[in-house]
Amino acid sequence: MNTLSGPRPAIVCMIALLALLASACAGPGYGYDEGVGIGAGYYEPYGYDYGGWGPGYAVGPYRGGHGPDRGGGGRPGHAYRSAPASRSAPSIPSGGRSGGGRR
Amino acid sequence: MSLALPVLAAPLQVPALLEPASQEHHVGKVIFVELVTPDLAAAKQFYAGMFGWTFRDIQAGSAEYAEASLDGRPVAGLVHKEIPAGEHRQPAWLSFIAVRDVDATTKSAVEKGAKVLREPHSVPDRGREAILADPQGAVFAVLASSSGDPPDVLAAPGEWIWSSLIAGDPDTDAAFYQALFDYEVFDLSSDAGAQHLLLASGDYARASANSLPANRPNSHSHWLNYVRVDDTDKMAAKAVALGGRVVVEPRIDRHGGKLAVVADPQGAPFGLIEWPDTESKEVSQ
Repeated sequence: MNTLSGPRPAIVCMIALLALLASACAGPGYGYDEGVGIGAGYYEPYGYDYGGWGPGYAVGPYRGGHGPDRGGGGRPGHAYRSAPASRSAPSIPSGGRSGGGRR
Repeated sequence: MSLALPVLAAPLQVPALLEPASQEHHVGKVIFVELVTPDLAAAKQFYAGMFGWTFRDIQAGSAEYAEASLDGRPVAGLVHKEIPAGEHRQPAWLSFIAVRDVDATTKSAVEKGAKVLREPHSVPDRGREAILADPQGAVFAVLASSSGDPPDVLAAPGEWIWSSLIAGDPDTDAAFYQALFDYEVFDLSSDAGAQHLLLASGDYARASANSLPANRPNSHSHWLNYVRVDDTDKMAAKAVALGGRVVVEPRIDRHGGKLAVVADPQGAPFGLIEWPDTESKEVSQ
């Protein structure tokens, strides 16, 4: 019966630890690593375009409550579940902040 | 035999999202953003000049972090990270979307084709978070804030107000995010225009999902966040004066106000969007 004694298990454990540390620092091509110890440390891939928005390209929400021209119940055949046809598209929050300081 | 082990950076003590803590939770809402930049000092100067943000520096070992605030409220985190010589990297803002259970959300995301860029982990005072790339490559983070989520109120000028997912296939990406965050999805696409979906939760619009522009083959799926401004033309010009550049010229958007996309001096893109305080206030065109 083998027992976990002697130098060999310690070396195996050391190699495993080093492999674990190395994999933890490897990025998937996004320029990401954990060196800063928090969420960021992330860079986008380089060289891509961000513009090129043509006429009619809209990204913003509706203003003032619910959208006037189209709500749920969109065209069939989507991968997502459309909101019910009875629902109209909501807007962003419009209320004021009641307190001060950190939110 | 002596063996030197790699030394991992000590975790930064980043502040809680809310002080005092609240019990509010708004799953699916973008509740925080972080910028990684190779020039933290230049980034701080730029964003202070743009929006009047002030900064509190936090340092742990070689890691440098700056908490950005506006009128005493935290608005963002900025992280310094060197770009190795000879490498090209694109600084970017990272969107943190609220969840209740980071581990379960990460597991679900992976089952639906996402990649984990950083495994779920706990950040003291901040909560638990993970960083993911959706099936089309757009990178985002999920955060279960231990101090609750920011309330659903109208963002002040200089604060983040909106987010867009610009994706190769918004339809299937909307299904992916709907599975994670239980979004209601509304189709706002015009007959002739690109696909424009609205993602909502808690009866509020949280983000749009738009098609990548067809005339830009060298584009990629990404999230884009927008700061509320009073005058998009003026702020776009200001971005240029401060060393940034205009990516999308000011233009009238669906809501009737002007919107633009600019990049900071290190190249991180973000949006500017006008949003009147009241419905009746007309936006100058």
